[in-house]
This record gives sequence, C-alpha cells and structure tokens, in this order.
Amino acid sequence: MGVLMSAIGFGIVTASILAVSSVGFTLQFSVTNVFNLSFGSVMTGTGFIAYALNTSGVSIWASMAIGALCGGVISVALNWLIFGRFIRHGISRFGMVIVTIATGLICDNTIQAFVGPTFYAYNAQPGKAFNLAGMLLTGQELIIIVIAAVMMTATHVGLKSTRLGAAMRGLSVNASLARACGVPTRRVVAVAWFASGVMAGIGSVALFLDTSTFAATTGSQFLIMVIAAAVLGGVGSAEGAVVGALVVGLATEITAAYWNPELKDVVAFVVLILVLLVRPQGMFSQLSSERTAVG
Amino acid sequence: MSAATQLYLATVSVYICVNVIASWALDIQFGVTGVLNFSFVVFQAAGAYTAAILSLGPSSSSGGFQRYVGGWRLPFPVPIIGAMVVGAVLAGVVGLVSLRRLRSDYQAMVMLVVSVIATIVAESQTGLVNGVAGISLVANPMVSLIHATRQTQIWIFVLFCVFCMALVGVVMYATVYSPFGRVLRAVRENDRAIEALGRNANRHRMQAFVIGGALAGLSGALLVEFIGAWAPNGWFYPETFVFFTAVIVGGRGSLTGVAVGAALVGVGVQQAVEYLPITLNPSVIASLEWIITGILTLVFLWTRPQGLLPERRRRFPTPWRSDAPELAERSAATKGDERG
Repeated sequence: MGVLMSAIGFGIVTASILAVSSVGFTLQFSVTNVFNLSFGSVMTGTGFIAYALNTSGVSIWASMAIGALCGGVISVALNWLIFGRFIRHGISRFGMVIVTIATGLICDNTIQAFVGPTFYAYNAQPGKAFNLAGMLLTGQELIIIVIAAVMMTATHVGLKSTRLGAAMRGLSVNASLARACGVPTRRVVAVAWFASGVMAGIGSVALFLDTSTFAATTGSQFLIMVIAAAVLGGVGSAEGAVVGALVVGLATEITAAYWNPELKDVVAFVVLILVLLVRPQGMFSQLSSERTAVG
Repeated sequence: MSAATQLYLATVSVYICVNVIASWALDIQFGVTGVLNFSFVVFQAAGAYTAAILSLGPSSSSGGFQRYVGGWRLPFPVPIIGAMVVGAVLAGVVGLVSLRRLRSDYQAMVMLVVSVIATIVAESQTGLVNGVAGISLVANPMVSLIHATRQTQIWIFVLFCVFCMALVGVVMYATVYSPFGRVLRAVRENDRAIEALGRNANRHRMQAFVIGGALAGLSGALLVEFIGAWAPNGWFYPETFVFFTAVIVGGRGSLTGVAVGAALVGVGVQQAVEYLPITLNPSVIASLEWIITGILTLVFLWTRPQGLLPERRRRFPTPWRSDAPELAERSAATKGDERG
C-alpha cells in the first residue's frame, strides 16, 4: 500500500505539470488549429530564462512567473514571425506540422549552441516533506500542485464565462463564422498563443524543478508526453487534456514503482495508442477534422 | 590519390546512395501517397540492426562484449534481404495500428510516439540490440567475398551501393509512374474521391507504407555494413526530419528531385558545415547542421513548396471530346494556382 500511495503522489505531481503544459498546447490548437511541435522549445527557452534569473538571485517562484510571461511573448512572436505568415500564405495542414517541427529544431539547437550539452539545475530548496495519507510530497511539489489547480480552474472559468473565452470557443468551432460575427480573430489568436506560452513557461519551470536537472533537449523530450496527454483527452478539449494528464501521470509513476522505471514512458505511450484504436478522436474531442488553420 | 582521400570519397558516395534510397522510401510514403511518417528513421534502424545481427554471428562469438537477440553468420546478400523483410514487416505492423481510421495529424503523432517508444526500448533493454552502446564490428561483406586490397574492397562496396540505388530507382520509376502510382497520388490529393471510385484508400496507404519500409530497411543495411556500427543516438526521432527536408527541398513526388534533395540535404549540409573556415566546438557544429536543415525547410516551404525539381503534372487527352486539348489546358491552368 505504501508503494502504491507514494507512486500515486508522484503521479499527481507529474500529472499537474503535464496538465498545465497540455492545456496550453491544446488551447492554442483548438483556437488556431496549428499542431504546434515547437511547444517543447518554448518550454526549454523559458526554462533557461528562469534559470538566468534564478542564478542571479531571484527566487524560483518569481523566476517562474517572469519566465512564463517571457514564454507568452516568445510564443506570440513565433506566431507573428513564422506560423501566422505561413497560414496566410496558404500552406497545407501537412506543411504546417513540418513548419512547426522545423521551428522547434531551429530554436532547440540555437539554445543548445549557447548552453552546450551540459545539464543545469535551479538553485531552489525542495522544502520540508509532508506525509499526506502515505503520499510523501515536498513543499515544492505541493506548490506545483496548487499552481496547476489554480491554472486549470482559471482556464475553465475563463473559457466558460468571459467574452474572450466565448470568442475562443467560437473560433475553435467555426473560424469564418466567428469572424463574420465580429470576433477580432487576429487578437484572439494572439491571446491564445500568449496563454499557451505562459502555460509552457509554468510547465517547464515546474518540470525542471521536478526532474532536478535539465538540458537543451529536456523540453522537446517532454513534449511527446504533453502530446500524449493532449491527444489522449482529445486535442482541443481542455478538460480532456486534464484527464489525459492524470492518466499519463499515474500510469507512468505506477509503472515506475511496480515494474521498470526505464519503461514508464513507454507504458504511457502504449495507453495512448490503445485509446486511439478504440476512440480515434481521443476521449473528449468534439472538434471536426475539417477545420482550417487560423493565423 | 592518397588512401585517406579515397576513403573520404568512398564514404561520401556511400552516404549519398544510402540517403537517396532512404529519401525515395520516404517519398513514396510522404511525397507520393501523403502519409506523414514521423517514425521513418525507425525502419532504417530496424534494417541496420537486422543486417548486423544476421552477419555478426551469435553474440557470444565476439567475446561477449555486446549482447543482442539471435545472431547468425549468413552469406552476403542474405542480411540485406533480411533487413528489407524486417523493414517491410515492421511497417506493416505500425501501419496496421496508425493508418486505420485516425485523423492525419493524429496519425503523424502516433508515428512520432512509435519512434520515441522504439528508442526507449532499444536503449533500456540492453539484451535486445546492446542498449545505448549499440552494435559494432559489423564487417563489410566485400572483405570476406573478394580477395583484394582494402581499397579495392571498399570501392567494390561503393559500386554495389550505386547498383542498389540504380535498381531501386528503376523499381521506383516503374511504380510511381504506373497506374498504381497514379492511384497513390490520387489518395494524396483526395482520399474521399478515390474511395467514391471504389478504391480502398487505407489499403493503398498501407501498400506505400510497406514498400517504403522495405526500402528504408535496405538503406539501413547498406549503411551499417559500410560504417560497421549502429547505436540509438544515430536514430533519435528528429533524424526523420532530415529525410523530410530532403523530400521537400527536392520536390515531393518527383524522383529526380528527391535524389538531388537527398544529396544536398543529407550529405551536402553536413559537408558544408565541416568545411567552415572557423573552428567551432563539435557540439556547436552538430547544432548548426540542424539549424541549417530547419531554415532550409522553412525557406523552401515559403518560396518554393514544390521543390527544386517539381513533380510533373501529367495531362491526359480525353479522346471522346473534340475540344479535349483545350479543356486539358484550361483545367491545368486553374489547377496551377493551387499550392502543395
């Protein structure tokens, strides 16, 4: 029982990090219909901005907040410089996937060229450990869980009960109809990219704290897990992404505890493939596959 | 020519042949049929490991310093044929899972995930293909086959690679420009229309996928027999992207174009970076190659999405219409505005 509870504890921490990241990924996808494979690079970039702040004396949580804002700016800049232009240029959906991969590779390797192949670690104390019903969690991990819970609630309320949220949902269902109804498409799209970048930033600092060391490739490696959680829930569905994150997080940590830590990611991916075989659209997605990209 | 120069030229030639074969393999999947195969490099790796295991003999024979499954010492062409078979079978399995009824972007993601799974399994299960260290000491088949100097043996292997590339080229031309190839292109352009005409689009995607898998296996087998070693850090999932860039730069669907793209991107970029007049840290050189590859892709997708040598647009006269040639001209003119 002790092993199971502590595995569930780790699973909830992993799921919190995954949930923030994959909601950011999926929110931007649902509004713009761009499958953004450079999301991992935005994560790495913000992680290193937070590292620069952190090593110059800023506390880790303040670094996370500033890093997240920078992530939002980077994300909007990528859309303004590259993605939006390609979409208005009339690129196909296949082409857009390749554009985001190319952008991600360029960003990752630019970061790598500056920071080198070494590993980095934040200057932060994990804090006192708490025992919650057998789950051993550090103060740091509890703060991560609280941040994730607050972010999820804010996203849910924002999407369901603000005008901006309504505009986003409108764009995700039918972009041209939303535009015809007077939704300022470009502005809403920019907000979606900003929100996605902010969540990438929070997710990356939380991830790098959790893994304790990180390098220039950590963000893009984690992206595969983020995509697994988002696709599992059904891309474009924020609630689905949270459930997907929980499934992936718990599956990986329980595998690590009971079977083989090296294969924990494989189990998560196999779960993803099995779910897609039964429900090809993911668990919660209601989006049609006929939509076109919006930039 | 000095021995070093000869070895350098031979190496570049083999890399060009291998990259051209691999890029054609991806072209029939992605360029011709429109399947975004993000696990492509896995099939190349599967071929390489198969060829290594089929020619090295049991793993105890090399003093037990590397461990892998099976291990046979089979005569020359058998390991290469085995690699093609394994590539095709693996493509069949992955295709069965991912090509079924998934949306095209989910398909791409599933294949990306397959690529990551394959790397994790190969790295963590050390008994399978010797884990992170990879398999080494794979012998060039010409060494035991032909009694000559090392130089001659290497050049004979280069000739063999060129022969394989030519053979694959002939087969590809026969396939891509046949009625079968036309159906594949129709699947790429409009899978609903082709299904309305009574064709099973998924079956055709599967066929292209398996053909590509076999050719990818062949490319891996040739490469491992030349360089002698194969390890997981040579086939991380971004490596697939090099072949995508080759296909995009060359011109998707166009065989000559893709061959040119494969030589330029797969070998040219790397060589160009090596000869930069400034001395750089080795890890910066690797990063620079990726950055150049990424920028090449973006530039081509923006300025010339059809590639250097675009796929020919074929026109067929409709003999039962008297105004047929004009009609073909007109429809070609309207179609010319579409972007690939």
